[in-house]
Amino acid sequence: MKGATKTIGTAARFLALAIFLILAIGPLYWIVVTSLKGPKEIYTSPLLYWPSHPGFASYVKLFSFSSFGTYFMNSLLVSVIAAAGALVICAFSGFALSRYKFQKEKGKILLAFYFTQMVPGFIIMVPLYAMMAKIGLTDNLLVLGVIYISMTIAFSTIMAKGFFDNIPASIEEAAMIDGCTTTQALFRIILPVMLPGLAAIFAFAFVNVWNELFLAVMLLSSEGNMTVPVALNSFISKAGISWDVMSAGIVVALVPTMIVFGIGQKYIVAGLTAGSVKG
Amino acid sequence: MKNENLKYRLMILPVFALLTLFMYIPVVRSIGIAFQHYTMFDLSKVKYCGLENFSKIIFDPDFNFFQILLNTALWIFVSLFFQFTLGFCLALLLKKPFKGRGIYSGLVFYAWALSGFAIGLVWAWMFNGQFGLANDLLLRAGIIGLPIGFLSDPNFALISVIIANVWYGIPFFAIMLLAALQSVPTELYEAASIDGAGPVAKLFRVTIPTIMPTIVSTTLLRTLWIMNFPDIIYAMTNGGPANSTNILATQMINKIYKNYDYGQGSALGVIIIALLMIYAVIYLKIASRKETSV
Repeated sequence: MKGATKTIGTAARFLALAIFLILAIGPLYWIVVTSLKGPKEIYTSPLLYWPSHPGFASYVKLFSFSSFGTYFMNSLLVSVIAAAGALVICAFSGFALSRYKFQKEKGKILLAFYFTQMVPGFIIMVPLYAMMAKIGLTDNLLVLGVIYISMTIAFSTIMAKGFFDNIPASIEEAAMIDGCTTTQALFRIILPVMLPGLAAIFAFAFVNVWNELFLAVMLLSSEGNMTVPVALNSFISKAGISWDVMSAGIVVALVPTMIVFGIGQKYIVAGLTAGSVKG
Repeated sequence: MKNENLKYRLMILPVFALLTLFMYIPVVRSIGIAFQHYTMFDLSKVKYCGLENFSKIIFDPDFNFFQILLNTALWIFVSLFFQFTLGFCLALLLKKPFKGRGIYSGLVFYAWALSGFAIGLVWAWMFNGQFGLANDLLLRAGIIGLPIGFLSDPNFALISVIIANVWYGIPFFAIMLLAALQSVPTELYEAASIDGAGPVAKLFRVTIPTIMPTIVSTTLLRTLWIMNFPDIIYAMTNGGPANSTNILATQMINKIYKNYDYGQGSALGVIIIALLMIYAVIYLKIASRKETSV
């Protein structure tokens, strides 16, 4: 009897796991299938759950009718600039915060950082736009990249501090007795130890910047500077955009962060649970 | 020692410089703009106008402000309830190891890394009134006879965007709660077994009390995050139809993008920041009392 309930329990558990899996990958499956259909098969009723002639015509259309290749490179550029910039800066700031001796001051600094985490980017898009317009720096990908550094730097620092906290200060103290400066000890001894942590910080910043829409819409105006989300946003309002091209664009927008998540899942999960405030 | 702290301060300085320039100053300036007549069409006449922007928002004839507040509350709390409950179920299912758990969790967690805006577009397509997957499934199953205009019918639009948001938020809770579950000492369960506790009793008397700090801090933080997450609504309905999915954040974005009314947009931003500050104070009080450490 007890064995029977246990079997039922196991079966129920795997059924529940299967339902979660179907629900989780269903939407992704659907957008990929849509992108592989031709425009005729997209608008049929009842719907086809697998295209009769799967092909990449939508993707060809996407990259030929718009400069989607340029948008993709723009997104990649700002995301890499921002994530790399945040990484370099937080390697120092996270370390400093971890080894800080004045506890009261440290608490205040952390509070000031946490505050910025609560303010979403779109809240300050008007003043940022006004500031940049005054000095003629709107519609500039590098400027957007720097703004994105400041959007991610507080969280990167908090995360880096968490990783540095796990590394005992005695390690760098030993190196400093051997004649290293603090910076040398940091670069030669400590950072190599926390490479996984650094990867997680980079991945976090990259994902957040790659996905950012509202500031980019506000600050970028010329077509040549559009990032992928901005381009998708412009597709909505453009007449004559059909779901075959749109779905291909969405898939292209989703792939990079999925790859980043796929590679860094273990470290990202560790980073997310180790003292994070960001969803 | 003094020398050392100076060095540390210098290392933190770039962060403060960036935050001051691109966060603190803009936040303060946006509060200033909220009290100004400031529209793109009328840039020569930018001037102080007192509380006019706020009264215009609250008594807007086209966008019932009370409905926006109600939508915001429903958007936050209904989403949060289901995100948490389903995320917790998923975490419980994943707690015991099984073959392929690593790959499985990758497949159910990946949504965390995706763009909310792009996910909104995906769900907009699935909820399409004519060629959407949701209608097709319901028609095939014989549950409905005619397709539903999920995003064009005010009775269905808010539910539809919330479903998309629930889907998007489950991985966050599952990841956080799974980590907490794995840190519950096994001795606690063994002791409960000796006392004759069944699985349900263990869940409510051991598991939930032990991971309470994580539950409190994740739900409190997530509340704030959902309030400030207009991406999915912006992509699916942009607040419509007939104001039925409009929340504070989407209303703010539309005032800026569509009406180019930066004054009213900033006033909505100030309302959001004010709510956020009140919430943050409550949160910090609860967090410090519980001494949560997530």
